[in-house]
Amino acid sequence: MLKNIIRYPFNNLNSVRKLSALSQSQADHKGFVEITRDEALQHPDYFSVHNLFTVKDLFDARVHYGHKEGSLDERMLPYIYGSRLGHVVFDLDKTAEHLRQALNIAAHIAYRGGIILFFLRGSQNSHIVECTAKECNEYAHTRFWRGGIFTNSEKQFGAVTRLPDLCIFLNTLNNVLTQHTAIRDAAKMAIATIGIVDSNCNPNLITYPVPGNDDSPIAIEFYCKLFKNAIMRGKQKRLEHQ
Amino acid sequence: MAGSRLEKIGTIYTRTTGLLRSGALNWQDRPLWYDIYEAFPPKEEPRFDRPIPNMKLKTIFYKEDKIRAMFHRNNKHIGTTNMSNNKYTSLTQRFIETYQKLESENRDLPEEELYKQAIDVLKWDREVRAQAENEEAISLSTAFKEAKSKQDSDQDKIKIDVKDIFK
Repeated sequence: MLKNIIRYPFNNLNSVRKLSALSQSQADHKGFVEITRDEALQHPDYFSVHNLFTVKDLFDARVHYGHKEGSLDERMLPYIYGSRLGHVVFDLDKTAEHLRQALNIAAHIAYRGGIILFFLRGSQNSHIVECTAKECNEYAHTRFWRGGIFTNSEKQFGAVTRLPDLCIFLNTLNNVLTQHTAIRDAAKMAIATIGIVDSNCNPNLITYPVPGNDDSPIAIEFYCKLFKNAIMRGKQKRLEHQ
Repeated sequence: MAGSRLEKIGTIYTRTTGLLRSGALNWQDRPLWYDIYEAFPPKEEPRFDRPIPNMKLKTIFYKEDKIRAMFHRNNKHIGTTNMSNNKYTSLTQRFIETYQKLESENRDLPEEELYKQAIDVLKWDREVRAQAENEEAISLSTAFKEAKSKQDSDQDKIKIDVKDIFK
């Protein structure tokens, strides 16, 4: 999985420019007109991702469960409905709004032929994330993050490396205390990020944070399904317009 | 490629915009997400130094929590609840429903009296259900007995002797 981040043809190295997927994909697909893309951007919900889920689905997937009050990160307060007997409960209306925006972004990135990389730490849920990434033909990194995979990629992989265009973090913490280093690295390398932030996480550096439970397998499964569907819709539209 | 790795200053968008404006980055080489970000900017700027919002964590309480507390104070052992099962309401929930129903029927009763009545209703409910189960069990056993006796009588009718078969 680690090595999979580098995806480039060796015989075509010169044409690959780091973070230049736009020009590259234009060269690859000449029928892909930029005008259609602009139309897609002007539409508020071009891939109709709003119908992928309802607030009831969020509730059934136990997205509203936060951690205990004591571990609350105060930067999460605007997304929180309240505290029920010491347990933090998310405001699912706000979660739905953020999740729909995140799904829209994921679909747009997939539509433009971007590389999407899924992240998750924790052995319980990592297999399902890797399977999701495989199913939608994208990449996953669910193991220990060696420093410098983004920031020192040319040395680490020995060649010019195309970094992902979107990172989706299904949880943003390594353990209960430290944030995933890839969030900082993605911000350094100017890569957009989507992240599920629980009540004990810091949402500041994540471009499109989605407040919600990131621990329950059922919730992770739910997010995986949604992101997979959104990405597939983006890819489907891309195929249609080629 | 030119880049700014100071993730604590501005956002990825402002840093990339600065590079584009200064000419360090060609417009053709802009990141893939750039146009999408412009069309759908995030609800809050993803800045590292975004201030902590000045908000209070509110507590969630409901009107029926008073009834719930009363029920739990007087009944310490009410068993476990299967939280993944949404078909059946829990014992506490059933108590609250009966209590509220009784309360709406006779408003002038004091709390203790309502509590006693609600407990009685629940007990009666349980007895009725247990009785129904009992009856069902009896009918099952009687059915079995009947079937058995019928089988015996049938065998009497057929009257085949094993000895006769192997003659």
